[in-house]
Amino acid sequence: MTVKNIVEQGAPQARPASKKISWTWLGLTPFFIFTFLFLLYPASTLGVRSFQDSRTHVFTLKYVTQLLHDPYLLGAYWISIKISVITAVGGGIFGFLLAYSAIRGGLPRFMRSSLMTFCGVASNFAGVPLAFAFIALLSPSGELTKVLIALGFNPYHHGFTLYTFWGLSIVYMYFQFPLMVLIISPAIDGLRREWVEAAENLGASPAQYWRYVAFPILLPAILGAVVLLFGNSFGAFATAQALTGGQINLVTIVIGSQLRGDILSDPGLGYALALGMVVIMAFAIIARALLQQRTERWLR
Amino acid sequence: MNLTTVKKHGGKIWAWFWMILGILYFFLPLIATFLFSLRAKLNVLSFTAYQHVFNDSNFVYNFSYSVLWGVLTIIVGVLIFVPTAYLIRLKLPQFRIPVEFITMLPFVIPAIVYVFSLVRTFSQPPLLIVDSPVLLVAAYTVLSMPYMYSAIDTGLRAIDVRTLTEAGQSLGAGWGTILFRIILPNIRVAILSGAFLSFAIVIGELILAQYLVKPAFAPYMTYLIQQKAYEPAAMAIISFALTWAAMGVIQFIGRGSGGGEQSQIAGGH
Amino acid sequence: MTHLALSRISKDFGGATVVQDFNLDVKKGEFISFLGPSGCGKTTTLRMIAGFETPTTGQIIMDDVEITNKAPNQRNVGMIFQSYALFPNMTVAQNIGFGLQIRRDSKEAIKQRVDEMLTLINLEKHANKYPYQLSGGQQQRVSLARALANRPQVLLLDEPLSALDAKIRVQLRSEIRAIQKALDITAIFVTHDQEEALSISDRIVVMYEGKVEQIGTPFEVYNFPETRFVANFVGSLNTASAEVTDPAKGLLNVGGVQFVTASEIASRKKGEAIRISIRPERFSFLSEHKKDNVLDCVIENITFLGSVVRVQVKIGGASFNMDTFNNPFLELPKIGAKEQVTCSKNAVLVLDE
Repeated sequence: MTVKNIVEQGAPQARPASKKISWTWLGLTPFFIFTFLFLLYPASTLGVRSFQDSRTHVFTLKYVTQLLHDPYLLGAYWISIKISVITAVGGGIFGFLLAYSAIRGGLPRFMRSSLMTFCGVASNFAGVPLAFAFIALLSPSGELTKVLIALGFNPYHHGFTLYTFWGLSIVYMYFQFPLMVLIISPAIDGLRREWVEAAENLGASPAQYWRYVAFPILLPAILGAVVLLFGNSFGAFATAQALTGGQINLVTIVIGSQLRGDILSDPGLGYALALGMVVIMAFAIIARALLQQRTERWLR
Repeated sequence: MNLTTVKKHGGKIWAWFWMILGILYFFLPLIATFLFSLRAKLNVLSFTAYQHVFNDSNFVYNFSYSVLWGVLTIIVGVLIFVPTAYLIRLKLPQFRIPVEFITMLPFVIPAIVYVFSLVRTFSQPPLLIVDSPVLLVAAYTVLSMPYMYSAIDTGLRAIDVRTLTEAGQSLGAGWGTILFRIILPNIRVAILSGAFLSFAIVIGELILAQYLVKPAFAPYMTYLIQQKAYEPAAMAIISFALTWAAMGVIQFIGRGSGGGEQSQIAGGH
Repeated sequence: MTHLALSRISKDFGGATVVQDFNLDVKKGEFISFLGPSGCGKTTTLRMIAGFETPTTGQIIMDDVEITNKAPNQRNVGMIFQSYALFPNMTVAQNIGFGLQIRRDSKEAIKQRVDEMLTLINLEKHANKYPYQLSGGQQQRVSLARALANRPQVLLLDEPLSALDAKIRVQLRSEIRAIQKALDITAIFVTHDQEEALSISDRIVVMYEGKVEQIGTPFEVYNFPETRFVANFVGSLNTASAEVTDPAKGLLNVGGVQFVTASEIASRKKGEAIRISIRPERFSFLSEHKKDNVLDCVIENITFLGSVVRVQVKIGGASFNMDTFNNPFLELPKIGAKEQVTCSKNAVLVLDE
């Protein structure tokens, strides 16, 4: 290596600090330009358009007022929230039990990695193909329905249909619980064996260990995961659309029909509805943050 | 047998119970779809539906476009997010919180809302690019950003970025060389995992292509469901098999190099 | 008076025997160390006393009550873990009071006992901190207080000092010993560090591959190792092959150099191959006090160990380590220099093969 080479390599270290900062700033500009242009700016127009008459572009509160008084729209929110809470809590519980079984249940090791692969696939298997899979399984002529009828139990004679609220909940669970498994696994891994042993050694029963140690330790992660699951189902559109063809009046489906641009629709109302969703998500996230503050004082 | 072993055995039975329930939930819809897709011919099981799908030029056309969108999304994502995550880890930790907040935003804003605000913003001058594939790819990149970014970040966390960079510098490597010859190969598993998730999102995403009026797999399948019975089932199985294969590839490549499992992150809808 | 008795304990894990025929009687207030390399079964034995493992055969008796198959939460033993195992979601005071809370003691009783324990470990000011806010040494002291709060019959310590810095390790070690003596509590201490075991224990159980090699006081174990493993593992040891040249006079040929030993080799044949051992500190540089063996050597290497300087010398064909106290006024020989060293014939031990 020549002297010249060495001098050149030594040069960057010798540069003043201010030059380095300008260089690193440059490195982040593509990210900020990209996200501003394609995410932040378009999303911010949401707020503006919710208060703007679709035709005259004049400031108006009519969409927000309509939103708060129209029982049809409030009903849509209510159904969306209901299905999201049910599938987030249900999927959260089932996903947690699955993850705990695979990680700490004393099952063969390959079960765990298989479960992780399953969940990686299943949590991404949504939308139209998922809806179709459940139609093939649980529609009146579905494979499982046929088996059940052969066994003398026709679920469609007992108030069940795939195309209503509970049917849709079952379908949503398909991507909810795998997501829970993936999110909560690291937290379960973080439960140290010594904690069980220390608790047992100090006289605690397994139930007391769960109540005083494991559950409080896992709670922040569980809360975070459930809010994520809530959002995951709250914003879902394609699955419900494909499954029920818009029969279930979820907010996303109502928004879709308002923005589609046919005669009866009003984009302004669509944007206001969307703003409402963001507000609800924001509430969920703030509630989680407050709860987490209370539950994770002990975290670094 | 003492108390501890009794307790452990009881736990094991429950563990198996939940696992079996999970496996049933996971596989039953797939088995049903598969069986259904084989019933295209009356009273016999056959692969007729699959033949129809592969002979359908519209399927090939739409699916190829989805693959193209997927690949472009991955390339754009890697080019933007790898340097960003790397710089934040190495030099600009003060940007961690705002950048992570932004990358998680698509998770909070429902896709349908995002798509419409996008259509609105870019359908009037000076940003009239609503018909351009640039907008579609950019939007796919945004939708897959939470997964891509956190996969990359997880990958970077698993390697010692600072030491690798300093080792590279001390051996005379420039920034480009460090980023593409040292960092990138070391987080390839994480990038692959993020890439396949992005791919799965692009393949499954319905609204974006539908409202930006671009050829893609999901809108075509939705259209087909209204027309035919067995072919959509075959297509669901095909798209599932592709996702599965992608995950298999992640696991296979991740084997031995570590961090493969951790960098696997779930997708959203 | 036996306080804790382990008799004929064995443990198999899927066909592999981890502990084999372990027998030990512990007196009240005694400090016992289990010493051995990793995988020797010392931790497994400790965990059997705690109840986390069940012996395959044998009995554990504490104060005349058999506890072999009792669940861990039904035994009154306190356990200290290498990784502290403090509950991260509880403050120092809550951690210490956990066992009492489980026992449903009254609030006042818990508070009083926790305060007592905090004073004992000198952390009164940290009562309301969370574990992550404490240093490793402080965390381990909390874990000690937590185990002691329940007034256990026996205190079990599983390599409690391994995760700490060298300095804290020595300090906490004497603190543990002082508290143990003050409370007159029986303690069993697992370690792979021979210096730790020698410094802290009343008796040491040296284990190797699941078997007890020797049980004795630190003095006995160090000076009179009963097996070759103990001799090698406890303290450092030179070993060399030797040939008996004169059984009656105790003369040996070690790598071409004549050594004399006080060990009994009269029964050996002339020319028989044996192994000898010499502790490094038994060598010294030749002064006016000539010992039995006066040996020509070449200095091969010098390692500075603090209070001790370890000198590697080549005597004939064999290399030996020699420890000499560090003295700044003493001039050490240079590497490659020719010197003479000496050691007493008592220091030359003949090992049983």
